[in-house]
Amino acid sequence: MPQHQSILEFKRGRYFKLALLVCTASVAAYAWHEPSTSQLKPYGGTWLGYTLGTIAALLIVWLMLLGVRKRSYSSTIGSVQGWTSAHVFLGASLIVIATLHCAFEFGWNIHTLAYALMMLVVGSGMFGVFSYMLYPARITNNLAGETLDSLLFKMSELDRKCRRIALELPDEFNALVMKASGDAVRHADSGKSLRPEWLGGRGRNRLGEARDALLVMGTSLSGAQVKANEQLVSEMTRLVSMTERVRLEFRYRALLKGWLFLHVPMSFALLAALTAHVISVFYLW
Amino acid sequence: MLRVGRALECELQLPDPRVAREHALITFNAQGALMAASGGPLKINGQSASQVVLSVGDRIDIGPYRIDVEAAPAGLPLALAVTLDAPLQPPCGERIRSAESRGPRHSRRRLSYIALLGLLLLCLLVPVAPDLLSQARQASPAALAVAAAATVNSSVSVPTAAAAAAASAITAYPHIDTVSLEEATLRGAAGNLLQAWNPGPLSQGHQIFASDCGACHQTPFVQVRDEACKTCHKDTLDHVPISHLTGPAGHEFADTRCAECHRDHKGTHLVVRSQEQCADCHRDVKQVAAQATSDNVVDFHSGHPAFRISLSDAATPNVVRRVRQATPMPADMVERSRLKFNHQVHLDPNGVRDPDGKRNPAGMQDAQGQRTVLDCQSCHVPADGGRLMAPVKMEQHCQSCHSLAFEPSVTSRQVVHGEDAQIATMLREFYARLVLGDVPEGVHPPADLPRLRPGAVLTSEDRSRALAIADRKAKQVLHELFDTRQVCSTCHEVSRTGEYSWSVASVKMSSSWMPQAQFSHAAHDSEPCAKCHDVARSKDSKDVAMPAIETCRECHVGAQPVAGKVTSDCATCHGYHGAVKAAAKGLVAGAASAQSAARVAHAHQSFKESP
Repeated sequence: MPQHQSILEFKRGRYFKLALLVCTASVAAYAWHEPSTSQLKPYGGTWLGYTLGTIAALLIVWLMLLGVRKRSYSSTIGSVQGWTSAHVFLGASLIVIATLHCAFEFGWNIHTLAYALMMLVVGSGMFGVFSYMLYPARITNNLAGETLDSLLFKMSELDRKCRRIALELPDEFNALVMKASGDAVRHADSGKSLRPEWLGGRGRNRLGEARDALLVMGTSLSGAQVKANEQLVSEMTRLVSMTERVRLEFRYRALLKGWLFLHVPMSFALLAALTAHVISVFYLW
Repeated sequence: MLRVGRALECELQLPDPRVAREHALITFNAQGALMAASGGPLKINGQSASQVVLSVGDRIDIGPYRIDVEAAPAGLPLALAVTLDAPLQPPCGERIRSAESRGPRHSRRRLSYIALLGLLLLCLLVPVAPDLLSQARQASPAALAVAAAATVNSSVSVPTAAAAAAASAITAYPHIDTVSLEEATLRGAAGNLLQAWNPGPLSQGHQIFASDCGACHQTPFVQVRDEACKTCHKDTLDHVPISHLTGPAGHEFADTRCAECHRDHKGTHLVVRSQEQCADCHRDVKQVAAQATSDNVVDFHSGHPAFRISLSDAATPNVVRRVRQATPMPADMVERSRLKFNHQVHLDPNGVRDPDGKRNPAGMQDAQGQRTVLDCQSCHVPADGGRLMAPVKMEQHCQSCHSLAFEPSVTSRQVVHGEDAQIATMLREFYARLVLGDVPEGVHPPADLPRLRPGAVLTSEDRSRALAIADRKAKQVLHELFDTRQVCSTCHEVSRTGEYSWSVASVKMSSSWMPQAQFSHAAHDSEPCAKCHDVARSKDSKDVAMPAIETCRECHVGAQPVAGKVTSDCATCHGYHGAVKAAAKGLVAGAASAQSAARVAHAHQSFKESP
């Protein structure tokens, strides 16, 4: 089986080179082109502006066709991997082409709106590439041979075991164990939030706090209950670490998928804004 | 004895935390089985109780469990059916699993549809809706009938409401009474959203109709046409009358739109510097207009012809000669103004004689208080916004030194600076008054003039004699003025036309030497006058003291910047609109229409000079 080749290295970086060429050519054309003095300075309406704008618009339409190509299973026009590689690099080159097309002229209007949407789309796409590079390895390390389902199954087993052990202990221990079960669910679900970790995205680990509380409460026990509590605490500790792994699994999945909720709808917004931009330019020519 | 509870050692273990560790006790005695609560509440057949003798059919609720007492098989004392009615919530793993299998809450597809359609609506459909509505209305059978009737009824196109509306799709506004509230709201919203299409601020003059895009963009998908500009700029002339343009290059030039040079939406500047667009035609101007009289020119720095000075002669005031500067100076580079004037004398650094020792208008006097030092500003004051110098006026600039006093020992009065008949009348009246004995203040009547004694009674003979004396004296003074003292011929060409009548040649002085040029003296304030106008050694008024192109080139270069020089393209000095028509007129009518051309050019100059 051939070794995995990242879309960034596809065919020895063929599309990276193509994008680099396109950017260099655009910059060279922009530097060389002198707008006729009636136009005072470069802007989207010079012949170079029209050219760059046409290239950028066609490029945007082609970039969005990735969604069509990847669903056309019988198509043989290139490979989806090739398309994705080209999508990434040519999409990034749009930053240069579109900025040169507008010649750094911005204002509060539909034209700059299209530009801003495009930058959002490209930016979210860059985050997507970054997340695809970073997170899969972390997912593999986190799961460490398990699957999400197997982890959840084991968590259920531990939960039942904890409940069973707690039956021997006084009522407040049972109440804590029941509450800890709910805390585990909440802690795992907190992984689905995309809030950055350093901005409090992690939240309080109430499950861990429950486990710590058990230790403290256990000092008031005596006899066989002490041993039962020790066992309970050790099972609870396993539950804590397993819940953390599930939380991370959810978090990585969210990061791998969440940017697309910005990238895809924004690209349709961009399509609408782009259409309005092009039509408005020639409607009020 | 049976213990009922959640603890392991209970014989009947109910493993649920809602059950006490030892919840109840079942004891067997003579009546049968007795269940008594020992650790938690009991519900027996729906009612709380603390103990009960179990009989078949009883239902006991302990926590979430329901215990039904059933008929015991033979040999056994008791049969109980235990059912868990209310199980605990599932373990955490299962809950997470079931939440996962419900799938994602948000749909990318739905978000995408909302984004696409929402933006299309706001940014495209609503702004163009009024125009589409107007077109629909115009295309309606009723409107088409009106338009057809209009064209049938008028062979000459008289702008009717329908025809005008058809011509300008974007600005068509139906009559107010036909607009529904919904349509008015839509138009309002469309107008606001249409502002989002504005790519940049308008020039100052156009901001007045900034909210009406259709004022200039009259037809969708068609570039702004000249008719839109001419709505307001009706009087703007073509650079060259269309009839003068010849050949394919000329036709191409005739098709040039206003908007090819004047691009708006770029802030306050609308007039453009367009050197290579000028050079496109002017490098070989005869290709564009076969009868062109100007030389070929591309840039100011090199290849620009020497200046032509517009001169006229007082003898033929309606004829303007344009003489090209050259070295040696051409013979006809003279101004025959019929005025005598010596700049060298007047600009003497030691000053000129001031007959009364008065301060001259410029206020300069030398230390002794007798000689007045004149400079350029003493007589030449900018006019027309600094483009020209105001004409020198005798009364204002010359008379304080060049007095027209006719008998200084008698009176300080001066004759009027006018025709000899006017002067004669004035003198006769003055002396008649003296002869008749009415001497005004400050007048010392001459000794040789007979006067009536005070109180004398006049007969008609005396009256005619008095008038004859005055008349004679007046003629004598006239003779002095014109012939003896040569007061008028100091400056004028005087010729005698009779015994007591003279004619002074009318004077014509140029004030606009290069009427086609845009020039501002204010912009050149820091330079001394003499740098360009070298009159210090001029003794004759026929000298023309206009700078040659070399003088301008000391500071000005062409359109390519050079360090330390002023970049100047065609538009720095030359007007565009109406330049040729004005020149053609100038050849015939002289300074007046040259001035009007200059006014046109000057009005457009203000575009360049505003910040």
